[in-house]
Amino acid sequence: MKRMRRSQFLYACVFLVLGFLLAFNYKFTSSSSPAQINKQTWQEDFNYKQQLNELEEQNKQLRSELNSIRQEIRTMEEELSQDTDMMKNLVQMKNNLQKLTGDFPIYGEGVIITLRDADYIPREDHANQYIVHDRHIHQVVNELFSAGAKAVAINGQRIYRNSYISCVGPVISVDGTPYPAPFVISAIGDQKILDTSLNLQNGVIDMLVQENIEVAIEKQSTIEM
Amino acid sequence: MWLPALFLIIGLCIGILTNVSIPADYINYLSIAVLAALDTLFGGIRAQLEEKFDQSVFVSGFFFNVSLAALLAFLGTQLGIDLYLAAIFAFGVRLFNNLASIRRILLLKYKQRKDAV
Repeated sequence: MKRMRRSQFLYACVFLVLGFLLAFNYKFTSSSSPAQINKQTWQEDFNYKQQLNELEEQNKQLRSELNSIRQEIRTMEEELSQDTDMMKNLVQMKNNLQKLTGDFPIYGEGVIITLRDADYIPREDHANQYIVHDRHIHQVVNELFSAGAKAVAINGQRIYRNSYISCVGPVISVDGTPYPAPFVISAIGDQKILDTSLNLQNGVIDMLVQENIEVAIEKQSTIEM
Repeated sequence: MWLPALFLIIGLCIGILTNVSIPADYINYLSIAVLAALDTLFGGIRAQLEEKFDQSVFVSGFFFNVSLAALLAFLGTQLGIDLYLAAIFAFGVRLFNNLASIRRILLLKYKQRKDAV
């Protein structure tokens, strides 16, 4: 009886293991059957495709964003270049104005007119008729300006729009600085035009010569003032 | 005979209720273990019918065959040899041999009883 029970227990163990193996294998096989795998893979496929679609959509959006930003940058650059152009123009203008006001030295071709008192003064005449007066210089300077001179200087001092030239006894004062004769008037501008307008018949030079003043005109390729 | 039947049911329940998932690579070993178990079982039945059944041989053979079959298949995979195919072949042939023997013995016994009657 005891032996019988022991053998029964052994069989029981064998059947326990057998049942476990069978059930487990069955469950495992059915849980991973091809149909299910197909379904799973299909689901995964679908998910990946969806993700791909989303990514592509995102890509598209980002690309359009990029395009718009690029457009923006382009307009900004254009604005910037316009600004720089304007700046350049303004700087040019400022430089020109500074040249006009004498802040910068200017160079250029031009003519130099030297006015001297007459060397020889006849005894019977008054010396006053043989020396250079402020009005002579006025005439010369006006003539030069009206002939298109860019800049005019007397003995190296620039003449501006508000400069004044006056007679102070034997010397001439330019903006308060006295200069004795001879007076060197230099003008920057078109040499040909300046020369021609000075030498007009009954023009400035003729008049100066008639008033017994020695006039010398010299052309120079570079004058600095 | 009620104890083995009860244990068989308990084993089935445990197998169904365990929620352990095995990697798909190991399913081959499991099926070979099942095959070995079935082979041993039918071998036991055949021996019983031929009246040369030995309990210790049957029990040791069952557990030994099951574990060795799984182990050999595992070893074969590690070495790059499809050893589980050989195991399936061997166990399968033996399984069908056993089944054929059982059928023949049963038929013989049936005929003998009929003749006796």
